[in-house]
Amino acid sequence: MIDKRLTNKLALGMLWGAALLTVAVLGALLLYVFINGIKVISPEFIFTWPQGVNAEGGIWPTIVSTIYVTALAMLISTPIAVLAAVYLAEYARQGKTVSSIRFAADSLASVPSIVMGLFGFALFVEAMGLNLSMASAALALSLLMLPIIMRATEEAIRAVPKYMRWGSYGLGATKWQTVSKIVLPAAAPRIVTGIVLAAGRAVGETAVVLYTMGQAVNMPITPLDSGRPMTVHLYLLAVEGINLPAAFGTALLLIALILGFNLSARWILKHYRKV
Amino acid sequence: MQHRKSRHVYGRGHRSVLFLSSRAGSDRPSRGTRVYSAARLGVLAALAFSLLMSAGCSNQKQRVDEISVSGSTTILPIAEQAAELFMADHPTANVLVSGLGSSAGIEAVSAGTTQIGTSSRDLKEEEQGLGLIDTPIAYDGIAVIVSEENPVSGLTIEQLRSVFAGEITNWSEVGGEDRPIELVNRDEASGTREAFKKIVMEDKPFDRRAAVLPGTGQVRDVVARAPGAIGYISLGFVAPRFNSISVKALKIDGVAPNEKTVADQTYPIGRLLHFFTKGEPTGLTKEYIDFVLSDTIQQGVVVDAGFIPIAEGGAK
Amino acid sequence: MSEPTEGHSTGTLQLVSRSTYVKETLLKSLFFACAFVFVLAVALIFVFVGWKAWPIVTDYGLGKFITGTVWSSSTEEFGILPLIVGSFIVTLGALALGTPLAVGTAVFLSDVASPRVRSFVRPAVELLAGVPSVVYGFFGIILLRSLVAQFSGTLGFGAFTAWVVLAIMIVPTIAALSEDALRSIPEGIREASYAMGATQWQTIYKVVVPAAKIGIIDAIILGMGRAIGETMAVLMVVGNAPVFPNSPFAPLSTMTTQIVMDMPYAVGLHRTALFAMAAMLFIFSMLLVATVRLLSRLRD
Repeated sequence: MIDKRLTNKLALGMLWGAALLTVAVLGALLLYVFINGIKVISPEFIFTWPQGVNAEGGIWPTIVSTIYVTALAMLISTPIAVLAAVYLAEYARQGKTVSSIRFAADSLASVPSIVMGLFGFALFVEAMGLNLSMASAALALSLLMLPIIMRATEEAIRAVPKYMRWGSYGLGATKWQTVSKIVLPAAAPRIVTGIVLAAGRAVGETAVVLYTMGQAVNMPITPLDSGRPMTVHLYLLAVEGINLPAAFGTALLLIALILGFNLSARWILKHYRKV
Repeated sequence: MQHRKSRHVYGRGHRSVLFLSSRAGSDRPSRGTRVYSAARLGVLAALAFSLLMSAGCSNQKQRVDEISVSGSTTILPIAEQAAELFMADHPTANVLVSGLGSSAGIEAVSAGTTQIGTSSRDLKEEEQGLGLIDTPIAYDGIAVIVSEENPVSGLTIEQLRSVFAGEITNWSEVGGEDRPIELVNRDEASGTREAFKKIVMEDKPFDRRAAVLPGTGQVRDVVARAPGAIGYISLGFVAPRFNSISVKALKIDGVAPNEKTVADQTYPIGRLLHFFTKGEPTGLTKEYIDFVLSDTIQQGVVVDAGFIPIAEGGAK
Repeated sequence: MSEPTEGHSTGTLQLVSRSTYVKETLLKSLFFACAFVFVLAVALIFVFVGWKAWPIVTDYGLGKFITGTVWSSSTEEFGILPLIVGSFIVTLGALALGTPLAVGTAVFLSDVASPRVRSFVRPAVELLAGVPSVVYGFFGIILLRSLVAQFSGTLGFGAFTAWVVLAIMIVPTIAALSEDALRSIPEGIREASYAMGATQWQTIYKVVVPAAKIGIIDAIILGMGRAIGETMAVLMVVGNAPVFPNSPFAPLSTMTTQIVMDMPYAVGLHRTALFAMAAMLFIFSMLLVATVRLLSRLRD
């Protein structure tokens, strides 16, 4: 019978090992992208167009496409998700309807991205006639963002202390007045965090945008224009395997953008925690 | 903040004075409300901005005339570079180029979603009646490549066919080392694959165990690094461009692939590169196609990309 | 939550004016409509994808579709069994590789790490969960594939490479969720165990982990859902040969990757078959969600 203290030490050691391995592997990946990508990053790379046969030059239209479609998706999904969360947190009674809404939200959150891409293609691009465009892609992306924002908003609303509401009702405010002037402002930081996290997810999507936005390099101006987002650009560069430096540069910028979103979400949460 | 102190001195009665200064202390809305108002303002601003953009800009687009060119990944470099040069000369024109594969290009042009469908293969039987007009723009040879470490230097067409059908599975059967043959195929949308299938495989099906890769560059890279691999790419991509790794092109039936042997058809695996349009090309489409057929592109971009200008060589 | 001011105009006491009552009711309906959008969206996906996929049942035959072993669009044979098997091979392998690492990391974070270490590692894991799948695929194609090719003598495409890439991808997700489950176990249980003389490890594996079992299983299922639905990363390393692989280093294909490969040029029955696979994936992911919800209900 092995001494239990020995097993303890061994097991704890293995747990340390597991955590270190996780962090190390992922850290190494990021480092690898960083080292190879940083050589390529320059104002030219960021602000010029891809030129030539192998996308030499920069990636500016792809950056614009990514930001444009994400912003559009945020605009579409935020009002719906926030108001839906208001319903669930403030008005609804537990029952079949609420249960099915939650089930739908969870399902939406776990839809495989290729299915969402095909759905977006079938509905927005073909049936609704929007063609490959920012609009189709934004609509498809917003479907993915809805559950994330709704969950965050609902938690935020529930975290608002009850006494604030009671005070408001005690003064004679209606439900909507209470919600709009007291509850939502108090929950705002957490809601914004949720929106930013959802945006981070949208930026990283590939399959969904591939089928709803296409892949022609273009500078989108109206929502009906198409474009090529950074994720698709990275995919094409990687698969062609010819212009690797540009691929690394794109990967680095993409990761930087997403990490930027996630870090600012955390910062917002921390900074406004008092509310 | 000085007005805070003054408030204590004057007391609440003199609040009116303090409104001149910035709102401080209890007059200020809470942080959360400020975030909320800021967010609301931001949303409105963004909404207004996008409305403005769509209203204003839909009337005055920078590039008025737009055509879409899509299809073969083999032709993509030519199409893209020609498009760049073309747009530099024609500031009001926009040529959108993409490459999803010859089959995708043909489908798109017959459905009307693209103006020019590029293809590195001829039309199949079922595609003949779709009203597509063919403008060949270059010749191309399909090189069969292996890694530089592979001692084999040539195959016959029959051997090639058997290898890709999965009947010959070891290099020793064709005069090489004792090593399993690793097949690298192209995806089914690829015109290169179709052309290879038509010329080499005839009716024999490809071995379904072959790895299927979606890009010419990838095929080349994978084959270059694996001693047992064999694949096929357009002749124009054999020479190393961006990276220094090189591949070896096999002789087929004793003939090495180069511009001369493809043009005079002594090299057996050659094909035409097509621009398909629905009906005769007109307007911007015609201008672009004429530009691609001009000497600037034919002797410049086409040759640089490793293809053979359409004017040389006999018609197929 | 009771709201004393919700207007009911009863005969005896009217708390709010009629106009306010109308406005409040309209607003409530608006919010309900927003919430209903979720249900509507899921229903729409079901309907659209299902409608595009339906002809596979009438024109081809569901049984032939699911049990057929040959996927060859040029001969109009659409048997997806190799693809289903491929999806499972890739997913289960990734889970086998990634789960121990993920749960180990989670246990480390919840029970072993000091608060300082945790404040560094946990955010790192969460941030890494946000890295997009193309980047993992890129890493797989550039670095991993050539490494695997070198030591296995093959092309480097295949189940093994896919396992490694996918495992790396799902570890942060499973780790973060498992850690949440572990942290929600009250401290008292651990203290009771220590009081009886157990070591930390004994406490962990006999007391804490079993208590958090359902939460951890939830996390694994969600990780599985992510792995099955993963497309781009797997596409770049799997080799795309729609056959039953005879070694971990032979090219294979999954349902998701086959859809992406074929979609650009698929027409007619071929396209229908792709939509049918998408429908199956969707149904499967909904089943996973239902399972997770059921398990959560069991826990409460």
